[in-house]
Amino acid sequence: MNRKSDRAWYALFVLPLIFVFTTVVIIPFLIGIGYSFVSWDGLPLNEKVFVGMNNYIRLFSDKRFLSSITHTLLFTVLAVVIINVLGLTFALIVTSQLKTRNIARTMLFMPYLIGGLILGFIWRFIFTDVFKAVGEATGWTKVFFSWLLNGDYALIALVIVMTWQMAGYIMIIYITGIQAIPDDVVEAAKVDGAGFWPMLLRVKFPLIMPSFTISLFMTLSNSFKIYDVNVSLTQGGPNNATEMLAMNIYNEIFSLNNYGYGQAKAIVFFIAVAFITLIQVSLTKKKEVVM
Amino acid sequence: MRMKKMFRILLTSAFITALMLTGCGKTTDVDKTETSGTTSGTKETTQTSSEPAVTKIVIFQSKVEIVDQLKALAAEYQKEKGIEVEVWETTGDDYLQQLKIRLGNNQGPTLFSLAPGSESEDLKAYLADLSDLSFVSGIAENMADEKDGKVVGIPYTVEGFGVVYNKNLIDASKVTTADEFISMLKEQQGAGVNGFSLSQESYFLIGHILNTPFALQEDPKTFVEQLIVGEVTMQETEEFIEFAKVMEAVREYTNNPLEVTYDKETGDFATGKSASIHQGNWAYGMFADYDVDFEMAMMPLPISGNDSLAVSVPAGWYVNSQVSEAEIQAGKDFLEWLYTSETGKRYITEEFGFIPVVEGIESSELDPLSQAVNEFTAAGKTIPWPMNSYWPAGIVDVYLVPVAQEFFTTEMTGEEFLVKLTEAFVQAGQNQ
Repeated sequence: MNRKSDRAWYALFVLPLIFVFTTVVIIPFLIGIGYSFVSWDGLPLNEKVFVGMNNYIRLFSDKRFLSSITHTLLFTVLAVVIINVLGLTFALIVTSQLKTRNIARTMLFMPYLIGGLILGFIWRFIFTDVFKAVGEATGWTKVFFSWLLNGDYALIALVIVMTWQMAGYIMIIYITGIQAIPDDVVEAAKVDGAGFWPMLLRVKFPLIMPSFTISLFMTLSNSFKIYDVNVSLTQGGPNNATEMLAMNIYNEIFSLNNYGYGQAKAIVFFIAVAFITLIQVSLTKKKEVVM
Repeated sequence: MRMKKMFRILLTSAFITALMLTGCGKTTDVDKTETSGTTSGTKETTQTSSEPAVTKIVIFQSKVEIVDQLKALAAEYQKEKGIEVEVWETTGDDYLQQLKIRLGNNQGPTLFSLAPGSESEDLKAYLADLSDLSFVSGIAENMADEKDGKVVGIPYTVEGFGVVYNKNLIDASKVTTADEFISMLKEQQGAGVNGFSLSQESYFLIGHILNTPFALQEDPKTFVEQLIVGEVTMQETEEFIEFAKVMEAVREYTNNPLEVTYDKETGDFATGKSASIHQGNWAYGMFADYDVDFEMAMMPLPISGNDSLAVSVPAGWYVNSQVSEAEIQAGKDFLEWLYTSETGKRYITEEFGFIPVVEGIESSELDPLSQAVNEFTAAGKTIPWPMNSYWPAGIVDVYLVPVAQEFFTTEMTGEEFLVKLTEAFVQAGQNQ
């Protein structure tokens, strides 16, 4: 009897999800693979021409696509490192004996509650108008100029905004990990004379490895797929210096009307992101220790 | 025990179903009123097709300036004819993408707007024949959008753009060549005024201003085709060389357009901080928020002896051919009413502020900029808009803006600028 009702419960919660996932993810994905072999402008009444692998071959000579891969990789590396370092640091601070730790947690988490689009618009104002005004007022024009007009700085601006948004969220994941560390282990290490760094590196880090797995996965895939902040902060400019892959694909499909070609890009994008994140997960999983 | 558990499961599933249903209902609601975003829920338009009498039509159009007035017009129409008119809103930026997604999913509006030219060519299969509307014969020459001999698009109005200038600061009769224009920029800078301004948004940054050298070609259509296959280049064409010279001067003597938004551009002009801006008569509405204490007018962008404003139809009304017969008819009835009834005519001229292009509609009062467009049109001094008719679709946002951004943030020469613009046309054209 028990097993039967367990199964009913299981089905009750899982089936609706499976249904939704199949209809909005799996089926469109399969259809999308099909579209990547045709040349088509996206309107059902207009002709689809089968072009075989041509869309995929074209990718390799598309300079704009290749440079957008470079930007995305650079952005991802910077964002993943900075977000995780900051998130972890925040987590360590707010799990210490700090008096204001509850307030600090809330404040640090706050930016995540603001949508990426809005954040982008807020920071756009800061990076252009505020920075310029500060530069004019203080004379430090080497640092305070309109960042979004310079390709390199615009990319860094993007990293800053992404960090601002994600660090608090990642912090929460690390906090859960840190709080799950049993006190006896920490005390035993203290008794054995472990200082701050050995404690952190030899005791705490191995024990919060599962948090690393999740945090790295989240930041890695989110940075790869960034679009909202990209659109509202830089729109890919100046001179395409911050056109990330998602935006490149969007432009190809919706602005240039190349559905088939854009779809081919999207498939390649998917495979790359899946591949990289899977490697990351399997690597960090191996480092996880069982208590 | 068993009964109790079953009951619980039933209750929970009922609850979840209810949640899902209300959830879905909400999505539809949100989708109808939202201004942007890419989701598209179920639309009621698909349902109306199965009903015999059409009680509602849907309008989706790109001119954000007239949305409020259009809604008022919709209310009037419902009062007079008893048919509900729903107006979907857009921010303007992604109107075309939204429209295509909706048309593609068979959830398209009854009436929509397009720019006549490459846009209406792409969507040809979705355009209903409007030839039998009574006022079609009264549309000014070459203004109706025709496909295969059938009229499919009814023009909203004509619009013109050029250099909108402050009459107190600039004497148009002294700015008729590129050199005079450039020395004007220098003079204004010397006087502490920004001589001329573009703004950072795609068409206002590069689209409109690059239209002029194209329009000055003898046959802009052939020119674009030859440009794409590499038979001609901009850097070897006189009008473009002058254009580049002007752009270099703009970069040197005026504020950086990449730091100027449309709002700032028009605001600075209205408050006298800028002597001139590259804009069209549609921008006049922006000045309503300011106490403008000077007279303004519009003059041609004076490159290669150009003495004409760029005047054309910015958008036309189109009826979706993929909805039911009855709904197509309802859409046509609305257009018929808009262009022939007293209320409709009043809205076109007074509320929308359009320059009428259909016989029988007269506008008593035009704002100064529309006045200028009207005068230039009457004198035959107009050049077309190849940017809508012949440029590859999507080129401005995806290819030209990055080049312009590079031009305005680096020291590249005008010639390098032209080389890159030519490359952009070749790339965009060959990807079509």
